[in-house]
Amino acid sequence: MKLSCGDKAAEVRIEEGIAVIEGRRVPFEAMRAGERLEAIRAGQDVVRVRARRDGNRVLVWCAGSVHEFRRTAGRAAAAGEASGDLLAPMPGRVRRVVLGAGEKVGRGDVLLILEAMKMEHAIRAPRDGTVAKVHYGEGDLVEAGAVLAEIQ
Amino acid sequence: MIKRLLIANRGEIAVRVAHTAREMGIEPIGVYAESDAGGFHVARMARAASLGEGSSRETYLSIPRILEAARETGADAIHPGYGFLSESPEFARAVEESGLLWIGPPASAIEQMGDKLAARRRARRSGVPVVPGTDGSETNDAALAKKAAEMGFPIVVKPSAGGGGKGMSVVETAEGLAAALEEGRRVAEDAFGDPRVYLEKLLERPRHVEFQVFGDRQGNVVHLFERECSVQRRHQKIVEETPSCALDSRVRAAMGRAAVEVALGVGYVGAGTVEFLLDERRDFYFLEMNTRLQVEHPITEETLGLDLVRAQIEVAEGATLPADWRAGRLSPRGHAIELRLYAEDPATFLPRTGRVLACEPPSGPGVRVDAGFEEGSTVGLDYDPLLAKLVVSGQDRGSCLSRARRALADWIVLGVSTNAPLLAAVLASKEFASGHYATDLVSRLPALPSSIPSDAAWIAAALAISESKPGAPGAAVAEPWGAATGWRAGG
Repeated sequence: MKLSCGDKAAEVRIEEGIAVIEGRRVPFEAMRAGERLEAIRAGQDVVRVRARRDGNRVLVWCAGSVHEFRRTAGRAAAAGEASGDLLAPMPGRVRRVVLGAGEKVGRGDVLLILEAMKMEHAIRAPRDGTVAKVHYGEGDLVEAGAVLAEIQ
Repeated sequence: MIKRLLIANRGEIAVRVAHTAREMGIEPIGVYAESDAGGFHVARMARAASLGEGSSRETYLSIPRILEAARETGADAIHPGYGFLSESPEFARAVEESGLLWIGPPASAIEQMGDKLAARRRARRSGVPVVPGTDGSETNDAALAKKAAEMGFPIVVKPSAGGGGKGMSVVETAEGLAAALEEGRRVAEDAFGDPRVYLEKLLERPRHVEFQVFGDRQGNVVHLFERECSVQRRHQKIVEETPSCALDSRVRAAMGRAAVEVALGVGYVGAGTVEFLLDERRDFYFLEMNTRLQVEHPITEETLGLDLVRAQIEVAEGATLPADWRAGRLSPRGHAIELRLYAEDPATFLPRTGRVLACEPPSGPGVRVDAGFEEGSTVGLDYDPLLAKLVVSGQDRGSCLSRARRALADWIVLGVSTNAPLLAAVLASKEFASGHYATDLVSRLPALPSSIPSDAAWIAAALAISESKPGAPGAAVAEPWGAATGWRAGG
């Protein structure tokens, strides 16, 4: 299967007692407690791991670090990241819309304010322009990565 | 004597208080908002009462609902924890008026210290230096701008009724002042119902050092040494340690005396914390007093071998402070460090939500975890993003630091993004290791390294995919607003 992790990608195949990572053969043993994967042993090296599937991603904790893997089918990167789009950096609630459609903005101007877990975060214009559209109103819930507004 | 203690809080602190209650033969009673009924803390109580539907304002912050829950469950005392109603004089008064024992300082002390401007005046009157700033007599922008120019930029705008860094902002130049005042007043009005703000001179690279104080109803007040709290992001602490590397015995004694003076000045009873800024010349200035148990209280417990919640309960029941405390015979042993694990992006510090898919806290000698979550917990948007605290102690700072690094690296959390990489970077930094650091430590850290997956990580990922059945548990994460689609972690 083809997996990606951040900007890295690799073809990984699991065979009996051997993983083939980008053509490289890595003998290993999966150490388990019941069903649960506890560690990967390669030769005499033991590495503590946990893995959980979560929708289309796999979260792996490995020796103190967390990695997010995705199964890819060679698809292109996600669309919708045109430079004029303002994406929500976190899930939250729109607390205030400061500038509406048609208004002129300068780089760094606050367009709207998001609130989550008692914290406020100002969404600022990445460049000069005119607000083309604001997709959410005050009180709306937004997901991380949602397009909040567009600048032309 | 208390039989049933209602804990008016949630998360790790509710569980922390419940532990001590049970050890004292007291039944811990929990409360919860309906949306939080499956909360981690609820399952760890002897009894639990619903605060009904609604936001925190209508539940954990509702004095009538909490008092009703106390009546329903037969509680005879209330512990407020930190946050929520812990620093509300109205709540303290209402608890006592309804015939319940209040585990906290007198309402009058909370009131006097809750208004930051009044607290500064109080401290000055007790002979304790305060950070140069305005005293609240200037309220219009022009007068404040004049004062700011006199003090010299940069300055800090602070809400008078504030706390926890909310509504605070640093202003570098005169041009930025008007906007910061407007923003500060708006946030202060929203968060505290009081729009007043004041100005303070920004000290160059200060350290943030606080003293634990404790008073009894007999009029004794002692200090229980310091906590170094300079490692902060968004004006909020993330790593604390004791003792502080910045204090020698002379400065420690002077600050301890000042802290006790401040507490005596308001007739303080119970656990409280006096916060100071310490500049590079080791001159110290009163910052504020927190009239409650502090998040980072465990490091004091670890180095002194005490249970501060037990002491709070005993003092509320009328006990005099122990003789060795009053005689100043307590002395800290070894070193302790606390790491706060937040559900947030480690680089941007923005809150993250999700369901916890794996959670295995570290263990071993000198390792204590005060947690408010477990596998299966949902981290939502409604509450403080603090998940848990890792508290490590060791015979000296060096061994304590190695232990902190080891324990943090052993902590398994999957499903919700945490600030663990930031905590690891703090512990790995030369500045923190040297002990010579200030409140700008986090901003001076190099960019967090992107972790490169090892062979074992690729193998674990491939195994998880090949072994999980489609539609199996963990295949979807319910978001607070229902739809699981479009969720983009790290986006």
